[in-house]
Amino acid sequence: MQTKHTDKLCCFPKNKIGKILGYDNENLLMPTKIIEMGLLPETTFRVLYQAPFNGPLYIEYGSDKTRIALREAEARFIKVEVSE
Amino acid sequence: MQEKKQKQILLIGNPNVGKSTMFNVLCNRKQKTGNYAGVTVASLSGKYIYKHEEVEVIDLPGSYSIYPTSEDEAIFSRYLIQEQENYSGVVYIADAINMRRSLLLFQQIQDLGIPAIMVVNQIDEAEKRGIKVNISKLQEILNIPVFETNAKNNIGIETVREAVFNNDFKISENNSFEIPLEQKALVYKISSNTSEKNLYKIWTLLAADTYLGKIENIHEIITQEDSKCSVPKRLQIQETVRRYQNIDKITSEITEKKPQLKELLTEKLDKVLVHKVWGYVVFLLILLLIFQSVFFLAEYPMTWIEDFFTWLSEFSSEHLPKGPINSLVSSGIIPGIGGIMVFAPQIGILLYFLYLLEDSGYMARVVFLMDRMLRPFGLNGKSIVPLVSGTACAIPAIMSTRNIENVKERLITILVTPFMTCSARLPIYSIIIGLIIPDDNFYGIKYRAIALMIMYLIGFLMALFSSFILKSFIKTKIKSFLVMDLPTYKMPLFGYDFKLVLGKVWEFISGAGKVIFTVSIILWALSYFGPPQHKDEILATESSLDHSYLGRIGRTMEPAIAPLGYDWKMGIGILTSFAAREVFVGTLSTLYSLDDEAPEGKLIEKMRLDVKPNGEKVFSFATGVSILLFYAFAMQCISTIAVVYRETRSLKWTMLQTVSMTFLAYFSALIIYQILK
Repeated sequence: MQTKHTDKLCCFPKNKIGKILGYDNENLLMPTKIIEMGLLPETTFRVLYQAPFNGPLYIEYGSDKTRIALREAEARFIKVEVSE
Repeated sequence: MQEKKQKQILLIGNPNVGKSTMFNVLCNRKQKTGNYAGVTVASLSGKYIYKHEEVEVIDLPGSYSIYPTSEDEAIFSRYLIQEQENYSGVVYIADAINMRRSLLLFQQIQDLGIPAIMVVNQIDEAEKRGIKVNISKLQEILNIPVFETNAKNNIGIETVREAVFNNDFKISENNSFEIPLEQKALVYKISSNTSEKNLYKIWTLLAADTYLGKIENIHEIITQEDSKCSVPKRLQIQETVRRYQNIDKITSEITEKKPQLKELLTEKLDKVLVHKVWGYVVFLLILLLIFQSVFFLAEYPMTWIEDFFTWLSEFSSEHLPKGPINSLVSSGIIPGIGGIMVFAPQIGILLYFLYLLEDSGYMARVVFLMDRMLRPFGLNGKSIVPLVSGTACAIPAIMSTRNIENVKERLITILVTPFMTCSARLPIYSIIIGLIIPDDNFYGIKYRAIALMIMYLIGFLMALFSSFILKSFIKTKIKSFLVMDLPTYKMPLFGYDFKLVLGKVWEFISGAGKVIFTVSIILWALSYFGPPQHKDEILATESSLDHSYLGRIGRTMEPAIAPLGYDWKMGIGILTSFAAREVFVGTLSTLYSLDDEAPEGKLIEKMRLDVKPNGEKVFSFATGVSILLFYAFAMQCISTIAVVYRETRSLKWTMLQTVSMTFLAYFSALIIYQILK
């Protein structure tokens, strides 16, 4: 059986559906805006594009298919897994 | 007389939910132009009358939550909380495509005890996509009046007006957010020690890391022990996560979705517009298109305006009685005003394009594309919006920096934006380029267009270069971040934007016009009268320009400007344009009309034919380049200085910016002239 793959949003493969598990935010350095925008645990998402030279990520998430841009640095706070 | 009743309402909601459109159709009367539209970060106020009741509508900046992360969100939260006695209620605009996110801020507003009605916008867009919002169910759950509108087609606006008229705003009785057990005691303690009875309001004051409102003696009430259990950020996270649990339940009840959402136009467009290669190509092409239009589309109306003013000047010169008034009107005022009116088409076209881009949602994509490129310079992707709008005018551009969350990045953006080639520089650039660059083609591209592109590029590169320098001087501990909504593309409001542009252009002309009017009268007086040339001759004689008071002033400043390659006329131009760059052309225009030795015809022809006593051209290539560089870098704009001071609230930075820009301008003009001469 395949083991479940947990990762950070910053390194998540493109065009694969994933699910947010939680945050890596013990020191409270994560911008609260991430949560306010609705990137909450259990939310499904897809990384659609990334700007060149490790630029921001273009993410589509939730049942409304909302689109948001995040830098890799912010995406590093978000723990994710591949959703089947 | 009976006093007119006035009611104030607030228009609020998330960014990009069609708030501006709503504001525009709602306020068919008087919209205050004092604020700079186009960039919707400033709060706007407008009015309408419904059933003899005058209603003032305040359009606050959009926000995702009551807890601000940037200056414009702080404006929103402060107004909402601190001005509560002044408004009757809020009209909350929710986005049918994104009810989930809309409900977060809405619940916070309800819990604050603010009377509200809700308007669900973009229902038709949502339906196209396969999302159905059950309005009556929503009304039942939220326990307030909910309306559906399509602001773009003016549908449902009357019902909203009726609801405002009837004061249908409702305060919710039950809170949707329960204060967590851990903080309950503290919140109750504050409540019993103060007059504040709204527990959630107390909670928001604890949870906000910036100043939102005031409770007297709050610091005496909160002990150190208390503050340990109320770390603002932790409280915010706690609240938001809990609210979303509740909101997810609501949205599943009120919305019906097709299992497979239809692909929106946005998704198709973004395949190209944010593409690694094509995205940048398209952006560059759009910029090129704008600059091309600024030059070639504007050519015809510019000729008409110029011809009209030349005719008007000749007409008044012939028909007014000969004498000082004649010369004041036909060689002072008319050429001065005409000199600036000519550039109205160019400024209008530039602004119109920028408004359309902003409106359509494309600017957010540019932020996405540019963030990585701008970061090494200490800027944020969001800085691209002020930088690009800076090509129209630095004032609204500097105000649009309010949505940059990071203080350092915002300050740098404010400080470097005036380097961008604003439309007030266009009059100077086009006339000087017209003088020193031949009207030839290079494989179909005009040399003059290339020269202008280079001027824009110089401004942009200087902005980047100075950001890079400033980056190491300004210190901050706050980390920079980019979390930005990518809105669905919308068809821009062509008509509305056109109206805005006309307003802006008129503002520019009348603003500059007033200055130029005054300046031309002063210039005329100084040039019409001269110091007595012979003993006992005290009569005002129409002395030749060189011998007038004006000529004298010019001559006095000549030692300072001669090394830059300028004659006294240009010196006067620089002096008078200290308050606003565009005055330079107006001044030259007046000066050349006053000089009876100067040849007849259009300003540019007079300038071209003007020669020094030794027969050399006054506007040589070296002098021209020197003027171009001077205006590329010099601040020369009182309004920008004022807005920088207002936005930075720092005299130090404002002074530093003005002084260093002036120095840079002077010395680069000096160096380039000495090299090219």
